[in-house]
Amino acid sequence: MAIAVPSSMTGLSRRSSDLARSQALTGYVFVLPTALLYLTFVLAPVLVTVVLSFTYYDPMLGSRWVGFDNFHRFFTDRRSLQILWNTLRFALFAVTFNVGIGLLLAVALNRSMPYWLLYIFRLAFFLPVIIAAAFVSIVWGYFLGDDLGVINYYLRLIGLPAIHWLTDSRTAMMSVVIMDVWKNTGFFMIIFIAALQGVPQSIVEAAVMDGTPAWRQFLRITLPHISPVVFFAIVYASIGALQVYESIVILTQGGPGDSTRSLSILIVEEGFGGFQIGYAAAISVVMTAIILVITGVQQVLSRRWVRS
Amino acid sequence: MSRWVQTRGARRVINGMIIGIMIVLAAGMVLPFLWLFSMSFRPVADAYKLPPSFFPPGFDFANYREVLNSRVPFVQIYLNSVMIAIVVTVGQLVTCTLAAFAFARLRFAGRDALFFILLLGLMFPAQVTILPIYLGFAKVGLLNHPIGLALMYLTSSFGVFMMRQFMLSQPKSLEEAALMDGASYAKIFWRISLPQLRPALSALGIITFTQTWNYYFQARVLLGSDTSLTLPVAMDLLRGYMSQGNLSVVMAAMSMAILPVVLLFVVAQKFVIEGVTMSGIKS
Repeated sequence: MAIAVPSSMTGLSRRSSDLARSQALTGYVFVLPTALLYLTFVLAPVLVTVVLSFTYYDPMLGSRWVGFDNFHRFFTDRRSLQILWNTLRFALFAVTFNVGIGLLLAVALNRSMPYWLLYIFRLAFFLPVIIAAAFVSIVWGYFLGDDLGVINYYLRLIGLPAIHWLTDSRTAMMSVVIMDVWKNTGFFMIIFIAALQGVPQSIVEAAVMDGTPAWRQFLRITLPHISPVVFFAIVYASIGALQVYESIVILTQGGPGDSTRSLSILIVEEGFGGFQIGYAAAISVVMTAIILVITGVQQVLSRRWVRS
Repeated sequence: MSRWVQTRGARRVINGMIIGIMIVLAAGMVLPFLWLFSMSFRPVADAYKLPPSFFPPGFDFANYREVLNSRVPFVQIYLNSVMIAIVVTVGQLVTCTLAAFAFARLRFAGRDALFFILLLGLMFPAQVTILPIYLGFAKVGLLNHPIGLALMYLTSSFGVFMMRQFMLSQPKSLEEAALMDGASYAKIFWRISLPQLRPALSALGIITFTQTWNYYFQARVLLGSDTSLTLPVAMDLLRGYMSQGNLSVVMAAMSMAILPVVLLFVVAQKFVIEGVTMSGIKS
């Protein structure tokens, strides 16, 4: 909204067209740095990537147009399809558990308690969120180790068999998901706590007086109220999960085999390892398209489902 | 009446139980940090010994000295991280606030279209911009320069969006009064809007600093030479050099690497939480 100035009043000091002109001029000047930087480092690169995805990039002999070859290659290659599937599967699990557990934690913390206790809870659950995945993944690598791993040590101590957390292709992906949830669920918890505090107390109290069971209060009153935030959380978590990179690179290097390799890893390997720039560009276009589709679908769904 | 009292008692017990469970979970959340911190003080010979320790056995800084004397130029790398984080944070505070003021308070042709295009940036992953940026940086000689990484993030769609949302929630009466008195828009921004934005500036500043400190994907692709690295990428390198089992030394490096972010969070938790919820709730 622009500043609304009643014209009769501005007429006293200066002409309103002058004011509009200086307003527009200031607007353009203020937006200029952001616009230039955004054009240089986001918009233009995205467009160039789209163009590159239709070419075979060769700096020596000149690049040539190859149509949909790169995309055809991606969608017919067994390995890249496996990696696409890995990424989608990871995203599905990571989003479900991050958002679900975050919501549970928020409900658990949304009660009266001394302020210092809430401060400590927020500190503990949010700390993993703000420390780089690159750092905590190294720590988790030692926690999830086979023989010298911290977790297996305690499993053996209580008489359970050790688990091949990262060295078995059937469990490796789950281990990555577990670390991801440990790292990110606090973010969603914080968002949900704020949302829960916006639920009108009068309605909740009325339900309590009526003897409505707690789970029904939650489903009928609380959840509809915070549903816009839940949708935001799902979109946000999906965008993040589809880009998963460093936690996997550090924990498993994509292995065993290709069992945990993600699209981001493939992009780096093809683009900067094999210098298949065109192919890597096509993969990143596919990834972006998935993100846009998921965001779009969730927008449509939320319009339909969310109570306004 | 008695039934009501009874349920109130039951509620209290359930409350206590839930808080008890949360305390256990919270302890579990910080366990990896306790481990890495106490590991950094373990003598190298004991590094892999089990059981693991979650409290430092003593405070001998030998491992920390080892990091500084290793073949990895740790001090240089640390300074790179500090430089990038400060340049990006200051840059974003300036560019995002200016743009947000324009989008929230000024009227000009193309404003809404421009804002929409800018918001699209929230959905583009780093993966879809990195190849052209890499090729471009290679051309102009910015590969392997920490400053290249800083340049990329001098503005952000998220920052503009967040500051705009905050500005929209602020009353405009003071600004209108100043306009009546003949103040220019630039002056109104500087004298009236900016001081009101202080909490939002702190939140955006802390979020940006943390995010920049933690970049890995971009740094790994754009920075290659040892002296140009940032801390998250260097940690991997350090782990490689120390593959002979010098776990304690890696953890000493890690303790130093996460220190600024942890301190920032402990001191300014309020702003971080506010910033996160502000951006999460209002979109």
